[in-house]
Amino acid sequence: MVSTVQNTDVKQKDSDHAVVVAVASRAVFEPGAGGGDGVYAEGVAFPLLQALQKVNERLLEENSAESLLFDIVLITTDSQQQQQSSQLISSTKHYGLEVSRFCFSTEEDFSESLLKNNVQLFLSTDRNEVSQTSQKGVLSALLDEYTASCPSEQLRVLLCGDAVIRPDTNPTPASRQAAQSFSARLGKMRQRFGMSDSPLSITLMTSCGGRDSCGGALQTLRSLGISADEAYCLAGAPQGPILSVLRPHFLLSDGFSGLED
Amino acid sequence: MSEMKPSDVAAAEDSSEEQDWNAAKTFFDSLKSNKPRPPKPRFAVSIAVSSRTLFNMVAERKIYEEEGVEKYVAFQVEHENEPLKPGPAFPFVKALMNVNSRLRELYPDSEELFDIVLMTNNHAQVGVRLINSINHYDLTIERFCMTGGKSPIGYLEAYMTNLYLSKDSDKVTEAIEAGIAAATVFMPEKESELSDTQLRVAFDGDAVLFSDESEIIVKQHGLDTFFEHEKHFENQPLAQGPLKCFLEALGKLQRKFYSKNERLNCPIRTFLVTARSAASSGARVLKTLRSWGLEIDEALFLAGAPKGPLLQKIQPHIFFDDQMFHIEGAKDLGTIAAHVPYGIGQKYHKGKLIEQPAKKE
Repeated sequence: MVSTVQNTDVKQKDSDHAVVVAVASRAVFEPGAGGGDGVYAEGVAFPLLQALQKVNERLLEENSAESLLFDIVLITTDSQQQQQSSQLISSTKHYGLEVSRFCFSTEEDFSESLLKNNVQLFLSTDRNEVSQTSQKGVLSALLDEYTASCPSEQLRVLLCGDAVIRPDTNPTPASRQAAQSFSARLGKMRQRFGMSDSPLSITLMTSCGGRDSCGGALQTLRSLGISADEAYCLAGAPQGPILSVLRPHFLLSDGFSGLED
Repeated sequence: MSEMKPSDVAAAEDSSEEQDWNAAKTFFDSLKSNKPRPPKPRFAVSIAVSSRTLFNMVAERKIYEEEGVEKYVAFQVEHENEPLKPGPAFPFVKALMNVNSRLRELYPDSEELFDIVLMTNNHAQVGVRLINSINHYDLTIERFCMTGGKSPIGYLEAYMTNLYLSKDSDKVTEAIEAGIAAATVFMPEKESELSDTQLRVAFDGDAVLFSDESEIIVKQHGLDTFFEHEKHFENQPLAQGPLKCFLEALGKLQRKFYSKNERLNCPIRTFLVTARSAASSGARVLKTLRSWGLEIDEALFLAGAPKGPLLQKIQPHIFFDDQMFHIEGAKDLGTIAAHVPYGIGQKYHKGKLIEQPAKKE
């Protein structure tokens, strides 16, 4: 059973051109925590949402008729949060979040509801959830402890060029395709801005291979219309310290290796 | 100052580090090429070089400064199949590669090697030309950070960098303040014949290997007071300076050759080139080095004579000094000189206090 509620405070996006990003409500708001006045407290994905909004804001500044925008959907399977659906909606309005609609789904119908809503990227803090939706062909990324400390003025997306940074979110060919098409749209958005002062930053990182792996991945990205801003080639150096300086909001792996395809 | 890498690390960090390392090892082994695998950063001596020190990008830099970043990146992309010409740190990097070959011959399983990392705040699109240029000269640089305009300091720390070379004195100053050995490299006025079998590194003493405590005395109280002071404190080691740890790292690699009976044929040679005089103030310097357990191959006390001509004879791949006056002298005569912006020497030029303009925020 899936029900969708539109957020009347927010102008609905052009569904043909917008990039639909679904975020698990548990990541946006602290589950159960009361922020007073029946409003939820901010969750881990708050800076992420603000960064997505910043991109939209700047896109519209460049072109007020822009239709290539992020269309943010809040999705929940959490039965508790479903019961408090009104609180979810009122909290969203309270913080002025640019969420277009709310999707209330059961666990069984979850992946279907994502696909039905034409979701191009699903973000959650739940590892199992991300793994399941990924298997069903929805591009999914795990939000973690890094996400909360990320900047809110710039959306930082990390594309992983080789091997798998998160071994348990092993992508299928279908979601690899989804990764490429999402990233291509991201690349298009990126083109709307100049080299410096962009609200969107695309970073490439290769963890295992040497410079040729990274060079190859840069070329592959170019062929998809993606002009990476930053590139890091680790060749086996520990990722942790680098990631904590990079502070990406989320990582997308696979589909960008220049050597695989 | 940059310490030797810590050996006590939390177990969790260790195991994910091992995972990252093993994945890369597997990848490189599967390549079945002669390409040497990059060393494990924890054990390696990491040298970070910027794009402008590795390659000559003077013309490109001009475009950046006069026409802005968009035109600059477009230019680089347009010319990305044209390899760049070597920059001031190029001979140094080649010499490091030579030391690595020698080390690999003697210790095929050791990770104690030089690890050369390209650390640039260039945009990733410029990176393609940089990678092509590295390929052209077949340099063993497998790791890089292209930060697209952001400060590289955080990444220097993440890579446990032992030495950072850049053309940007602001970044170098930031690195030194963060405790990382760093210097601003200058292109010499003329070319010179450098050894391709031995890495030769020359260091100034005060405010480079040692702290600037004695230099302060010279500047504020004059030479006579300085001589008295140094004689009096002859047996008290000087405090360490920003490049002490780099000398230490070189010494560790040198000892690997000595223990295989290669002392006479060692591919690393270090020089101390100091304005101090042997008689009055030299002893303290040598005793300090001894107290640190460090050796320096040749110590040259100039007693105030210009360093340029002597450096011309030594022909180091790089010479570190804290005073621009000496840097100018060195580069005029063909030595690759690197400025270490540390200590009281920054406030003086040729012995006179520089009028400081209001610091721009």
